[in-house]
Amino acid sequence: MRSERGHAMLELAVSAAVMISFLAGTFQFGYTFHVYNQLVTAVGNGGRYAAMRTYRAATPQDVEKGKAAIRNMVVYGDARPAPDAAPVVPNLKPEQVDVQWVMDGTGSPSGVAVSISNYTVDAVFKAFPFHGRPGVEFPYVGRYSPSENEP
Amino acid sequence: MARSAAAVLSIGMLHSNQRRRRGFILVAMSVSMLLLMAVMGLAFDLGRIYIARNEAQVFTDAAAMAAAANLDGTPVGVGRAREAVARVPIRWNLGTREFTGVVVEFSKDGTQWTTEPDGGVTLVRVTAPANSVEITFLRAVGGPATFTVPAHSVAASNPVRLTE
Repeated sequence: MRSERGHAMLELAVSAAVMISFLAGTFQFGYTFHVYNQLVTAVGNGGRYAAMRTYRAATPQDVEKGKAAIRNMVVYGDARPAPDAAPVVPNLKPEQVDVQWVMDGTGSPSGVAVSISNYTVDAVFKAFPFHGRPGVEFPYVGRYSPSENEP
Repeated sequence: MARSAAAVLSIGMLHSNQRRRRGFILVAMSVSMLLLMAVMGLAFDLGRIYIARNEAQVFTDAAAMAAAANLDGTPVGVGRAREAVARVPIRWNLGTREFTGVVVEFSKDGTQWTTEPDGGVTLVRVTAPANSVEITFLRAVGGPATFTVPAHSVAASNPVRLTE
């Protein structure tokens, strides 16, 4: 009887350890994929917005303001978010969004690359860092205005 | 020493109980493994499918816009539009795989689509039809080996905008 009880305890311990590790792995990957999917949607929205936005380049500050608007579109889904706006992806900050203009030979923008940098998904049991992924590159189809200021 | 009838009977019952318990554990393990596979499949495989669908949509959006930006009503513009689609660097499968079998079609009115237009087109439709996600866990509970997540986008030229 005592040995049978010992067997049952051992079986329970082994099977519980296996089950918990399987479930933890499932949660880890499931949650990370969910967040990655949200990031893909967010950079896609930012890329579409950047591609059609007027590129105002009177001063380097104007270009930077434009980039800030694109970052806000990625993070908050809004180029001019309210002060209390919540990010569309947990803990994503504008400084974790990389915006790079691709210029053609004449110095006009021909494309825009938007990607996530230094963002970590905290899946409780393990953290997954993302740097440069997900990223998109859209062709620039907006209006190029080299002498205009950002409002 | 000869065993009494009661002792033989009780040993027989014990053996049959153990056999029944072993059978039960086998069935319980099989059922719980299947359930576990299903849960893992929902988290892992469905997660990858949704990501692939999203990546494909972003790719076709960017490709359709790139193509529409090159349309100028001439066959040369159509050629440039095709080249622009081929240059779009967006990948799928967590950003690791290139899109293959991409179809670029053109239209004047949005009803008749052709891959070889004779000019005068203003709309372009890009379809990424071959994004097959390999299924890992859902296959164990009767799911398919692969799941294809096609995507398409339509863009208009002058001004360039996504219409679908």
